[in-house]
Amino acid sequence: MRNLEKIFNPKSIAIIGAKPEEKSVGWGLMKNALDSVLPLSKKTKGTVRSAHCNLLRKLKRKVYPINPYQKEVLGVKCLPSVKSIKGLVDLAIIAVPAKIVPKVVKECCEKKVGGIIIISSGFAESGKKGKVLQDEIIKMVKKAGVPLVGPNCLGIVRPSIKLNASFAPALPKKGEIAFLSQSGALIDSVIDRSLIENYGFSNLISYGNEADLEISDFLEWLKKDKETKVIALYIEGVKNGRRFMKTAKEVSRLKPILTLKAGKTKRGAEAVTTHTASLAGTYETYSAVFKQTGIIESRTVEELFDASKALSWQPRCKNGLGIVTNGGGCGVLMADYCQELGIKLSKLNRRTLQKLEKSKKMHPAYSKRNPLDIVGDALACRYQVAIESLLEQKDIYGLLVIQTLQIMTETEKNAKIIIETKRKWPEKPIICCFLGGKFAQPGIKLLEENKIPNYPDLKRAAISIKALIK
Amino acid sequence: MGLLNFQETKKLLLKYKIPVCQTQLTKSKKEALIFAKKIGYPVVLKISSPDILHKSDIGGVKTGIKNKKELKKVWDEILNRIKKNKPRAKVDGILVQKMEEGIEVAAGMKKDPQFGPVLMVGLGGVFIEVLKDVSFRVAPITEKEGFEMLKTLKSFPILSGARKRKPANIKSITKIIANLSKLSFKEKNIKEIDLNPIIVNQKGALVVDVKTLI
Repeated sequence: MRNLEKIFNPKSIAIIGAKPEEKSVGWGLMKNALDSVLPLSKKTKGTVRSAHCNLLRKLKRKVYPINPYQKEVLGVKCLPSVKSIKGLVDLAIIAVPAKIVPKVVKECCEKKVGGIIIISSGFAESGKKGKVLQDEIIKMVKKAGVPLVGPNCLGIVRPSIKLNASFAPALPKKGEIAFLSQSGALIDSVIDRSLIENYGFSNLISYGNEADLEISDFLEWLKKDKETKVIALYIEGVKNGRRFMKTAKEVSRLKPILTLKAGKTKRGAEAVTTHTASLAGTYETYSAVFKQTGIIESRTVEELFDASKALSWQPRCKNGLGIVTNGGGCGVLMADYCQELGIKLSKLNRRTLQKLEKSKKMHPAYSKRNPLDIVGDALACRYQVAIESLLEQKDIYGLLVIQTLQIMTETEKNAKIIIETKRKWPEKPIICCFLGGKFAQPGIKLLEENKIPNYPDLKRAAISIKALIK
Repeated sequence: MGLLNFQETKKLLLKYKIPVCQTQLTKSKKEALIFAKKIGYPVVLKISSPDILHKSDIGGVKTGIKNKKELKKVWDEILNRIKKNKPRAKVDGILVQKMEEGIEVAAGMKKDPQFGPVLMVGLGGVFIEVLKDVSFRVAPITEKEGFEMLKTLKSFPILSGARKRKPANIKSITKIIANLSKLSFKEKNIKEIDLNPIIVNQKGALVVDVKTLI
């Protein structure tokens, strides 16, 4: 296994190609590297510098802008080259034009940096000339034993240690999802989306052309990363198929891996060649690979993060679920989706039915079977009896709770009951589907703050709980 | 890319314990009649040529030949058709094959540039060609995984005895898939192999036709 510690936990970062011009990549990288602790944009130069000092002290992380043509970037003094830095450099981020990248990489190798990220594009993905440049770089880093991310990538982001070694738009919340993506731009949008959602990330890695470090190296690293509970992948093509299979098989045994494969159709595959220069391969083969390695396949970006959220917040379980609903139609739809997806619905046993009956809380017309329809006028106390009785049944391994909104529906109280009940059965996952909009919101907020995933659509909830079933 | 001829292919399959239907390459009508008598009618005649990939498309195959008289007639017909449709094809002879009864299954292997040998299996005829009901796995696989491949086919109930049919000998197919997996790993020069059809019945499975690309 490659040692990537210096890349993922750097104490000093050199940004080669740092620039003062707002909106340039070199400026974005610098801003992200400094911004993690204090927003700098509206401060005067003096305070910026002191802010930088604060940052150094707090994170024990030094940031060096490198640019021979600039005096300073965002209030920090520029140095002419990486070799002019006095101390050690853990991570060098390179964002200079492709043709001078080899020269910069050479200096980084001589400086014995701990790792390199090349943001610049214009390598293997752009044709023969670029491929020659890339090969030149590979030769140097392999010889020096310096791990390299990219080229042609966005960089890496680790919210838990406030590391933003990328030009992504913001630092997302910390969480348990690692997102490993062949597309950098997708990462950016996923980050922005996550800011209005409740889930967070352990790592976001844009791996670009895989000139040195490959997807399998990152999977191995994520396997050991304590913060990562689930791994989400966006892939177009895999370079070293056999190694990927071996690694994915090992990792997915410990941490679930979800994937979104692009380039499934002829048109899509053609688009892949001009995007990442990887071979999309035949989709049948990839589909077989995913099955054989225990990778869960998602069909859309939404599905990928719906399922990631469920896996990062809830435990996995055996096949056999219960459904509680206060709307008959929604129960029927959910039963349909479950059957389509191969999710088993456990039969309610006599003891469970007796408990429901004896509670005297049920409506005379309640369904007495799974899906358990507790009828539209259900108040929180009826939800409580239903949820507890079903979870008490041994062969119900997880629960889907549906809430439709009537005038009497107690959405916040229902959420509180679910949160409390969940504490009693930590090993049984609960996924909610509080349908609606405005009036359902307070309940949904409570649920998700307590790591009970909610989905605004029945099918999305079903697909997400399917990912939990081993 | 080249095509392995019948003798080479048969040898290769037998090396990996993949059973082939009783077949002989015959160079003359007389030879064909002797072999047909030995294995018993009905028989099948097939053209054997390294230049012909799709034999039946150009009238190079005739099934259900019931007797001596019919065999003689078909022999001439096939050669005439080949002369007419593909005059430059090099003809090795005509294959005489026992006519097997059962369900048609197809299995194959193709080398993927990223993942190496990939295996596929499906039920023959419309199931593969029209409905694309095929299952894939990256080699190597075990017999058990071969069974899982079959089970994921929509047409699997046809093998396992739907609508009061007698179930086919499924184990004999999973054995073929597992052996094909071994073959694909050991025979580095083989790029693609297509066992189509394999005829399976209650007794077992026999490969009836093969295309091997090297």
